[in-house]
Amino acid sequence: MSVQLALRNIRKSFSNKLGSVDVLGGLTFDIHERDFVSIIGPSGCGKTTVFNVIAGLLEADSGDIVYRGQAVNGLRGKVGYMMQRDLLLPWRTVLQNVLIGPELSNMPAAQSHEMAMEYLNTYGLAGFENAYPRMLSGGMRQRVALIRTLINDPDIILLDEPFSALDYQTRLYLEGVLMEAVETFHKTVVLVTHDIDEAVALSKRVVVLGGRPSQVKKIYDIDIAARSPIGARSDPNFAGYFHALCGELDIQTEVRAA
Amino acid sequence: MTQSVSIDKSAAARRAPRARSRRLVLDSGWGRSLLQLAAVLAFFALWEGAARLGWVSNFLVGSPAKILDALIRDIRSHQLFVDTGYTLFEAILGFVFGTAVGSACGLALWYSPFVARLIEPFIVAINSVPKIAFAPIVILWFGTGLISKVALAISLTAIVALIAAYEAAKDADPDLQALLVTLGADKNDVFMKVVVPFTLPYVISTFRINVGFGLVGAVVGEFISSEKGLGHMIFTASSLYDLNTVWAGLFVLMAIGFVLYFLIDLVERKLLPWRQASNTSTLKV
Repeated sequence: MSVQLALRNIRKSFSNKLGSVDVLGGLTFDIHERDFVSIIGPSGCGKTTVFNVIAGLLEADSGDIVYRGQAVNGLRGKVGYMMQRDLLLPWRTVLQNVLIGPELSNMPAAQSHEMAMEYLNTYGLAGFENAYPRMLSGGMRQRVALIRTLINDPDIILLDEPFSALDYQTRLYLEGVLMEAVETFHKTVVLVTHDIDEAVALSKRVVVLGGRPSQVKKIYDIDIAARSPIGARSDPNFAGYFHALCGELDIQTEVRAA
Repeated sequence: MTQSVSIDKSAAARRAPRARSRRLVLDSGWGRSLLQLAAVLAFFALWEGAARLGWVSNFLVGSPAKILDALIRDIRSHQLFVDTGYTLFEAILGFVFGTAVGSACGLALWYSPFVARLIEPFIVAINSVPKIAFAPIVILWFGTGLISKVALAISLTAIVALIAAYEAAKDADPDLQALLVTLGADKNDVFMKVVVPFTLPYVISTFRINVGFGLVGAVVGEFISSEKGLGHMIFTASSLYDLNTVWAGLFVLMAIGFVLYFLIDLVERKLLPWRQASNTSTLKV
């Protein structure tokens, strides 16, 4: 499989009055075409920093980002970014929120409008196009955010714990919606999560970060045939990966007397 | 959504029908207006009674009946319309220009945190002078006519608008800005599509304060030097110890402020439809 995006020895540190903190200590990994990669790691390991570097919101101190064979500074305008907060603009209606991307790329209004309505229909939001975000439920808002991401036709979709604020049922449903969209539109996805269960169920590969400053500890290829969120969690291989990754993160659930 | 709300209402009605209906009488639009009207009438009746019975000095507090006489006199002579129109025009001009220029400058400071930090102490310095103290200079510079009152009103309103707009623009959600950048937005796009709409509610909330300041500027300017306007009317009447005419002018000013306040309410509703679009009922504590 060909490499779409390669990170080579990415370093990043943040400095403040108290001194500087090294967050990324030379990350190297590849993302393939049509890949679904999850990045997991203990909290504070710089998952979101990796994202911001890929998205072009932050510049790495050193290292290279190679996109389809060309060195780039980040993928501004080529990525779709979804966060835990849906980041819908509260002063725009659902339709206007979806159309923000086409608006920025100066797509003809008639064409983008038609596309937007098609998406809204597909994702069960027909009839809500003129509603304001605050009138919608969390799941609906996140679906609007997904459409806003997809309509821009990004090469890579970056997901930063997009479903972690939702209840489990809504979350499973949206995971399904996401998987289907990714298959239909042939997208590459990078998912940052602290949820091992979600990482195993959705991903083709899982990158484990660890250490301070963080480095790639291990990369797992997830061999689960089922592509639905519930199917994947029922797969016989699921438990094995789950165990292995919990071990990687050194998660302990037993309470011991100190 | 409407369905769930109506179910909610009927459930509440079943639980406590009596308490609900009692609250409805007093808290409905008509009930409230009636209460408010009664309070106003009682106030004026008490005043008039006190003045007639000699409880208070007619000379120092006037009386509602004589205030009405003064109003009717000035309406008949058309002087009231001239004065009101003059003051209203000054106040609105000052409010519109001051708020527009102030908000625009405050928003523009978002573009350069460096410039903003550089001029911050100067803004604070200007803001800490009571703007009314500029009045004599403003009269000297701009004369005794309309311009000086408008200038005074602008000096009062512009700083308020500038500070409010700048503070709000500075707080514009950084995540929303980042999202737009990932979608390929440049700085102007971020400004127009995030910063300005984010700041708008704060700017509009300064309208309420600034309408009042616009009137302050106009009236104080007229106090100092003028031939027309409600401030002029109040000032000359008070120097003649004609308290009833003074009150008449004050009540007209109050009426103007009242009307402008509700006009701004209307503007706010038109400009911020998304703020009204809520179906959450208010929490009863």
